[in-house]
Amino acid sequence: MQGTSNLLNYILWTPFIGLIGVLLIPKAKENLVRYWTLINTAITFVLTLVLYSKFDTSIPGMQTAFNIKVPWISSFNIFYSLGVDGISLPMIVLTGLLFFLCVLSSWTVTKQIKAYFSLYLFLQMSVFGVFFSLDFFLFYVFWEVMLIPMFFLIGIWGGENREYAAIKFFLYTFFGSILMLVGMVALYYKMGAGVDSFNILAMHGGKFAGQTLDIFGMTFSFSKLFFIFLFIGFAIKVPVFPFHTWLPHAHVQAPTAVSVILAGVLLKMGTYGFLRIAFPIFPGASVHFSEAIAWLGLVNVIYGAFCAMAQTDVKKLVAYSSVSHMGFVMLGLAAMTVTGVNGAVLQMFNHGTSTAMMFLLIGILYERSHHRWIVRPDGSKGFGGLYTQLPKYSIVFIIAMFASMGLPGLSGFISEALIFIGIYERFTTITVLALIGLLLGAAYLLWMFKRMFFGDVIEECKNYTDMNTREIIYMLPLCIAVIVFGIYPAPVLNIMRASVGNLVEMLSKF
Amino acid sequence: MGINYLASLSHYVPELLACLTMFGLILIEATYKEEKKERGLLFLAAGIGLTSVLVFLIFNLGKEPLSIFTNSVVIDSFSTLSKIIMCLGTLGAVYLTSQSRDIQGNLKPEFAIMATGILVGGMLLSSANNMLVLFIGIETLSILSYVLASLKKNDDRSAEAGLKYALYGGITSGIMLFGMSHIFGVVGSINFTDIAVGLKSLSEGQVLIVLPSFLLFLVGIGYKIACVPFHMWAPDVYEGSPIPVTTFFSIVPKVAGLAALVRISTTFFAEPGVLNVGWVGTLSIIAALTMTVGNISAIGQQSVKRMLAYSSISHAGVMILGIIVMNDLGTRSVLFYSITYLFMTLAAFYIVSFVNDKYGNDHFERFSGLIYRYPMMAIMMTILMFSLAGIPPLSGFVAKFHIFNALIIEKYYTLAVIAGINSVIALYYYLKIVRIMTLKPSESEEEIQGFTYVNQGVVVALTIPVVVLGLFWEKVLMVAEGAKVFVQ
Repeated sequence: MQGTSNLLNYILWTPFIGLIGVLLIPKAKENLVRYWTLINTAITFVLTLVLYSKFDTSIPGMQTAFNIKVPWISSFNIFYSLGVDGISLPMIVLTGLLFFLCVLSSWTVTKQIKAYFSLYLFLQMSVFGVFFSLDFFLFYVFWEVMLIPMFFLIGIWGGENREYAAIKFFLYTFFGSILMLVGMVALYYKMGAGVDSFNILAMHGGKFAGQTLDIFGMTFSFSKLFFIFLFIGFAIKVPVFPFHTWLPHAHVQAPTAVSVILAGVLLKMGTYGFLRIAFPIFPGASVHFSEAIAWLGLVNVIYGAFCAMAQTDVKKLVAYSSVSHMGFVMLGLAAMTVTGVNGAVLQMFNHGTSTAMMFLLIGILYERSHHRWIVRPDGSKGFGGLYTQLPKYSIVFIIAMFASMGLPGLSGFISEALIFIGIYERFTTITVLALIGLLLGAAYLLWMFKRMFFGDVIEECKNYTDMNTREIIYMLPLCIAVIVFGIYPAPVLNIMRASVGNLVEMLSKF
Repeated sequence: MGINYLASLSHYVPELLACLTMFGLILIEATYKEEKKERGLLFLAAGIGLTSVLVFLIFNLGKEPLSIFTNSVVIDSFSTLSKIIMCLGTLGAVYLTSQSRDIQGNLKPEFAIMATGILVGGMLLSSANNMLVLFIGIETLSILSYVLASLKKNDDRSAEAGLKYALYGGITSGIMLFGMSHIFGVVGSINFTDIAVGLKSLSEGQVLIVLPSFLLFLVGIGYKIACVPFHMWAPDVYEGSPIPVTTFFSIVPKVAGLAALVRISTTFFAEPGVLNVGWVGTLSIIAALTMTVGNISAIGQQSVKRMLAYSSISHAGVMILGIIVMNDLGTRSVLFYSITYLFMTLAAFYIVSFVNDKYGNDHFERFSGLIYRYPMMAIMMTILMFSLAGIPPLSGFVAKFHIFNALIIEKYYTLAVIAGINSVIALYYYLKIVRIMTLKPSESEEEIQGFTYVNQGVVVALTIPVVVLGLFWEKVLMVAEGAKVFVQ
């Protein structure tokens, strides 16, 4: 299993080296901390690109060349086992990119810089850990560890109501992961507590079909019960309705960079969990529940869109739009067809870039206005006529908005189209209903745009300055990504094709 | 067995040494003049005495199990490991006493003396193989505890705590003796080995007598562990006692009681049957209740000490879960849990104690902005709280993982889920203190005298195992794995 390359180790541990470096830099040298973090994340990003360039698109499963497997706790057969395949690679590159850009966006953070950037790098490391882990125990450790930096990043550097948001986020996710822990240990023993018992790949393929367990004399299907456990664990992260209530708070209160990471990467960990763990381990149960998942995804799409429409806080609006867009991902997953799952993974990537743009743009605006009201609570306009005041900003905003809306030619369109094509074969009613979600998406985004950018310039908007060079620099790569992958999505699709095909083929047997 | 009394003594060195330390401390205390406040020499002597006990215990760890004093005391690696945990706990509490201002200077030696005495009781309890020895152990432990609880002589609450403890303790001891007498009546022996043999050949009617008697017997031990519904004394005693005493109470008697419970469970109830079902069922309910009641009571607390005390009740509940499974895996997980619990509790109480000494109380607000004044201490406290809540990669998580493991292998899924939900509740109140320390602005810029560099170093040294055991737990696990309960 041991591969020839140590690249995954380098990617995983570079942020950690960066963290040590940040801690060693004297407190007074604030700019040094910023540049150091920037360089560190840049190196990590380059390493992910190297991984991308060395990736062999013809291999359906794990890229054995990059596998790393070292015993960690031998008596429990726990391994430090890393690997990468076509499903995780887009997420890894996205993580590298977003963390790099968000350092630039965090340049304006002035409170406790050392602590901020060390937690930030710690977060990056744990996110990579989740996407790399092939050992369930290791996966769980990284999954949980990630909560600690997130708690402090939201709780210390967040908005007015940050403590509530941080605690809610922590408790919700922790609740989900506890169920996952029970599921994980149960799987370990069902696997026979042997050498490969925590190995995620060894659990794949529906080994638990037909097994039962008794609780208080009632017989449950092992795979269905524990699929639900894992489902709740991951669904809280996605978030799937009705577990989504932590998200608006966390998003709105988090500092800009953390909102970007949260929406861009962390939400995808939930859907990644389905693709890597819940679906392949319990294929029978996933197929059994796929219609329910599709309905939940539909609720996400419609309900998220309606909630977004009702918001007067622009950041909250985008947060709910994430709920809606993650609903599309759930639909694509529930389709369990090649096209649908491809669309879902592509949507995970595209939503990562487009929503990151939205949050970054809102952050840029917030630094000028220090509020985010589209309509203030007293009914007056919060913004107006931004288009004439901030032309560069408006152009980038338009790109981000249309990408998020799914306009043809921009990235969101392709993934949503693939999802709809994929799911149409299986759930026609749901497809038709979900299309309403697209319409609603266009409605709330355009309505928001109208209220903020058009009309008369209100007094306080007159002294806003347009985007500066630093801001343009970190928006540019995302703009390019959104446009390029809208026209030519093959670089991402090619990577995932073999792995997704492999997964869907396994699911189709049930 | 083959070993006579004199030869038995040579295997009983740690206990004898602990007794010797206690007497030595009494003598040293007597030589001090009443008005002299500093009693450094006494604490040095206590430290040396307890450390030598520890050294002997560690040497005993690898040895073959052995029963001495005509089979009424068993020295096996399980009891030795429990004793090590208790001894470390005592050492920690004694050091805290020497630093604390919660206890008057001239009463500090009394704490050291009685804590050593309680340690002897705990050691006796953890290796008892005879109802009488067990009872003597419990009483040694209890009677000294009553005095300790009322150590703040001039404080009404402390006196109340002592009285409550004594009243409850007296009643439970009585109930326990009543249960023991029934068991003796049915089986005809007070020796665990003989009872275990006798239990196998009971008629149905006799089982009906024996099972309730064992439940009465459980009352006495449950009282020491402070598990629900025998926990009523705990909040008042924990609240009324000085912090070093609370620290001590939440470690040593608990570990001793758990050790006794493990031995009783594995000796008498390991075989499937009516007795096993009854015992496991009772313990399951007790464990679930203990976890839940402890946690829910902890949520509303204003004082960190009380919060930690309630949470220690709930931790005891989790440890009982490890006993329920009745196998080596369960025993091992209880031991591992106790080891991590020891470090987490000690270090957390240290920090609370120093803050309490400064302000006279330990309400949550006293910790606000600790990160800006004592960043190291705040980080340590954060690590400890996350570990107590069971977040990886800290040792509290690994301990919880082992308990889950033991439960799930025996298919106690419901209990595992209850334990899981409880740890979410627990996280809420642990986060509360983390939040106040790190997210709130500092209340005052005053210096906290307790946080000298040495004391900070001690706290860090106690926290290091919490982190290290979370990442590399294999070695400790192997030690715990070797610690099997010796059943003849």
